[in-house]
Amino acid sequence: MGILGVYLRKIYTLFRGEVLVLPSRIVVFLFFLVLLFLPVVTQDLYLLRILILTSIFAILAASWDLLSGYTGQMNFGHALFFGVGAYTAALLNLHAHIPPYGSIPLGGLAAVLAGLVIGIPCLRLRGTYLALTTLAFPIILMGIVFAIPGITGGELGVSGLSRLSSSRLYDYYITVVLMLGLCTIMWKITDSKTGIIFHAIREDELAVRTSGINVTRYKLLAFSLSGFFAGISGGLYAHFMRIAGPSTLEVSMSFTVVIWAVFGGIVTIYGPVGAVFILFPLLEFFRFWPEFRMLLFAVVILLILLYMPNGILPWVRDKIEKECPRCKVRNVATRKTCRVCVAPLD
Amino acid sequence: MKIPKFVLSILLVACLVMAIGLPAYAAKVIKIGVIGPMKFMQGKGHWNGATMAAEEINAKGGLWVGKKKVKIELVKLDSNEFLSIIDATNAMELAITRHKVDFLVGGFRTEAVLAMQDIAMDYKKIFLGCGAAHPELCIRVAKDYKRYKYFFRGTPFNSRYLVKTCFIQMATVGGILKKVLGIPKVKVAIVAEKAVWVDPMIKAAKGFIPKMGMEVVGIWRPSAVATDVTAELSAIQRSGAHMIFTILSSSVGIPFARQVGELKIPAVQVGINVEAQKDGFWEATQGMGNYVMTLNTYARGVEVNELTPRFVNTYIKRFGETPTYTADTYANIIYGLAPVIEEAGTLDADKIVAILENREYAVPSGKNKYMKDAQGRHLHDLTWGPGYLTSLGVQWQDGKLVGVWPNRWKPAKGVPEITYKGIVPYKIAPWIIKEYKK
Amino acid sequence: MILDIIISGLINGSVYALLAIGFSLIYGAARIVNLAHTAFYMVASYCIYFATHKLGVHPVLAMLAAIILVTLIGLVCYQLFINPIREHEAAVLIATIAMAMAMQEIMLIIFTGDYLSVPSLIGGYLKIFGVKIAYQQLLTFGVALLILAGVWALLKKTRVGLAIRSTAQDREVANLMGMNESRVAMITMGISVGLAAFAGAVVVPLTVVNPHMWMHPLIFMLAIVVLGGLGSLKGSFVGAYILGFTEASVVFLIPLGAFLKGSVALSVMILVLLIRPEGLFGVAFEEER
Repeated sequence: MGILGVYLRKIYTLFRGEVLVLPSRIVVFLFFLVLLFLPVVTQDLYLLRILILTSIFAILAASWDLLSGYTGQMNFGHALFFGVGAYTAALLNLHAHIPPYGSIPLGGLAAVLAGLVIGIPCLRLRGTYLALTTLAFPIILMGIVFAIPGITGGELGVSGLSRLSSSRLYDYYITVVLMLGLCTIMWKITDSKTGIIFHAIREDELAVRTSGINVTRYKLLAFSLSGFFAGISGGLYAHFMRIAGPSTLEVSMSFTVVIWAVFGGIVTIYGPVGAVFILFPLLEFFRFWPEFRMLLFAVVILLILLYMPNGILPWVRDKIEKECPRCKVRNVATRKTCRVCVAPLD
Repeated sequence: MKIPKFVLSILLVACLVMAIGLPAYAAKVIKIGVIGPMKFMQGKGHWNGATMAAEEINAKGGLWVGKKKVKIELVKLDSNEFLSIIDATNAMELAITRHKVDFLVGGFRTEAVLAMQDIAMDYKKIFLGCGAAHPELCIRVAKDYKRYKYFFRGTPFNSRYLVKTCFIQMATVGGILKKVLGIPKVKVAIVAEKAVWVDPMIKAAKGFIPKMGMEVVGIWRPSAVATDVTAELSAIQRSGAHMIFTILSSSVGIPFARQVGELKIPAVQVGINVEAQKDGFWEATQGMGNYVMTLNTYARGVEVNELTPRFVNTYIKRFGETPTYTADTYANIIYGLAPVIEEAGTLDADKIVAILENREYAVPSGKNKYMKDAQGRHLHDLTWGPGYLTSLGVQWQDGKLVGVWPNRWKPAKGVPEITYKGIVPYKIAPWIIKEYKK
Repeated sequence: MILDIIISGLINGSVYALLAIGFSLIYGAARIVNLAHTAFYMVASYCIYFATHKLGVHPVLAMLAAIILVTLIGLVCYQLFINPIREHEAAVLIATIAMAMAMQEIMLIIFTGDYLSVPSLIGGYLKIFGVKIAYQQLLTFGVALLILAGVWALLKKTRVGLAIRSTAQDREVANLMGMNESRVAMITMGISVGLAAFAGAVVVPLTVVNPHMWMHPLIFMLAIVVLGGLGSLKGSFVGAYILGFTEASVVFLIPLGAFLKGSVALSVMILVLLIRPEGLFGVAFEEER
């Protein structure tokens, strides 16, 4: 009992020192808590469905940020990874009878391949050229999907897949836990040395190259990592919807991902995730006014961007937290002095 | 005191999320969910047809369920399926879990209907599909009867029969061309949008058209949403085709018909052009769609049986336009579902399926009878043929959509000729007569 | 066969050129990737529809009114939604997408999703070497050439053109030289949107009007602009014809694969970019960090 008490007290101290000091951390903590314990309160099937889809798209939006936000390689064809992941998982499941826990990671790997296939030719392109070229890839793949209906099912897609799990509740836990886990991994990646190099490539590619870093390798790494996570979300989508169709490759899909990410704030990982959790349920909520649903959605995006061009979450974070001018540690906005170096916060 | 504020805001968000689609308590009404692309023609058809059926039933005080009379309540659900499959499935889930509907009608785009079908089957809700023609929807019923038995095809009959009807109509028009213009061997250009439901039809056409004494000179597959087909048209004209067999269900039907008319391509159009089935077609092609012929379900003034005029006229009076086939939600509710509910005396899905699948009943477009496949398994697909559903051949003649087929159609030897009431003769476009008349 | 390909390619190419030039102009002068460009083209089509069908105005008048109205709408949108956030590249991109979505939805609410159409300015067709070409298509071809000439004259012969060109070359220096950079951007935006509206007016009479008609040309326009080199008007023009010919060849050579014409055209774009990453006539923006 004694040892347990010590550990508990230690965890509590850690919790108070690391989580409770910053409102943003409290929000993230609550976010985890609410998502994990929501089914205890309600098991409404419709609500769970919305949250499952939200989680799947949160992975997708975060993976876009990992590539385009961090390395600045504007990808306007993110639907490619999503579609490749979905189709691969679907085909493997249908023909090779691989269960979802196998087919989804394999879908992710296929998306890595796709990432390399488009990453290599795109190495020489930059900025807007890159953005608009990547936009073309999912459309070309869609042409191929329509050209070989024997395999892909054409516009019908591949249907009749196995379920993700036996019940909606399990589906919920699988996707939510995966989402939380994968997004944490992505966040950790961006916080690591690799992430710093990604960031540096965005800021000044020439300088990175002069420092003796193989930029090509890191760019391709970013393409494959992002492809992997996006592919996983595609696989999850295919198994949850039980259909992988050409709609996963549509231009609007690619655009939506970018909208989510920019709306939430790029180069943050948590921004896109938060944005999906705001925008996707919001779109469902707007079913109240079915005629004006998409219009309201577009107007919300326009207005938010007008006042918070860096994205909504960084804006909120800047309101509730201040960075210490001396030691760059973040503090609650209400504090007068820094919590670490006691320098006055203005 | 930051925490309570955050808790509060999260609670608020949670409340908003929970409030999506207020759970209305279903009290003593039969709820029918009408699910379709409501911002588009097809969805409007779904909704109008269902509205008419519900109004008619409720005017009589409702349906007898057991010993009580129960009214019908419709729930309108926008599936937005042309743009987003996700929206479609969410709408389905919303209908079943929040609105607690008892039955579902609607659906149009096959990819979306497949996904929606799965959800409806998960909850064992009867779903009458009113729009998608792909056989796969019903093959699922035969393959896994226990799971998919709650799905019925409401309209149209499946694409295999669509193409069969087209061939008969082509033969009819080909005969007219031979007789009037003296063309010995009619050359046919096939123009089919790129879609899976079309593929088997093309294969059939390639095999069957030569057997009808015609020649296939080429096959063009434009995208379903192409807006410019002039390149295809000049290629078709080069090929010297006398007849264009169209299989177009999407928007491409309008620019195609319009550009054929604008460029006066000397070939008659026969087949399926879904856009040409609508009243708005004349205006949408600026009158260039004159003489286009297409398969259709209804036409003003054409009577398939005694139910047709009442439905078509009431619909026109109520909504100001001729019904298209998605408006068959009307027939499915009033002639299909309603009598079965009264007969079963319950809303229990299994009991209703057992009665419905063995029924044979007249509808405004003919007679519905659910088929079985070769092994005798239930398909819940619709039977085609004289006496059942045959559809019509309609042609645009100077701003009016008139019925031109079946006109003295002889389905088989020894069977009496069929001509529906109100059919008028087929007309060949004057520029085609000018081109070929010697 | 080759004749058919050349003629169809020329006609299709000029339609794309009309759209691509306007897009290129605003990108060149203000570095704005205006994804709502083709949405303005859609709005113009609806304006013409409304004027001719509901108000009974003559098509030519309707066209002029539509061009003026859409240009004004474009300027208002620019002032309200793009100008305040011009420094944030990503935000501008999303704002233009959101604008396009909003316009699409507004049209959807007003006119529903039904397919509509507008009358041709001149009906009938011309037969050249056995290939039938609608007069409307010839008109499009002629107009595209005229517009290009007009834009070229504007850029090379007028003071505004000089300002646009110098801003395109170096925004900061142009600003230092006393040019009102944001006003130049605004003028360019006006011209660009006006061109989109014009394209709508001449192209739409042969096809259908519906709220989603902006998506497909958008992709093509982007492909052309990238292929020709961003911001290069010459590039846009040449790129438009390359893709026009590619499309036509696909239709004639593999009729069964006519639906692939979009995919093939986009593959051509990627191939060109692999060889020349800055497009055919683009300038390498190596300096712009």
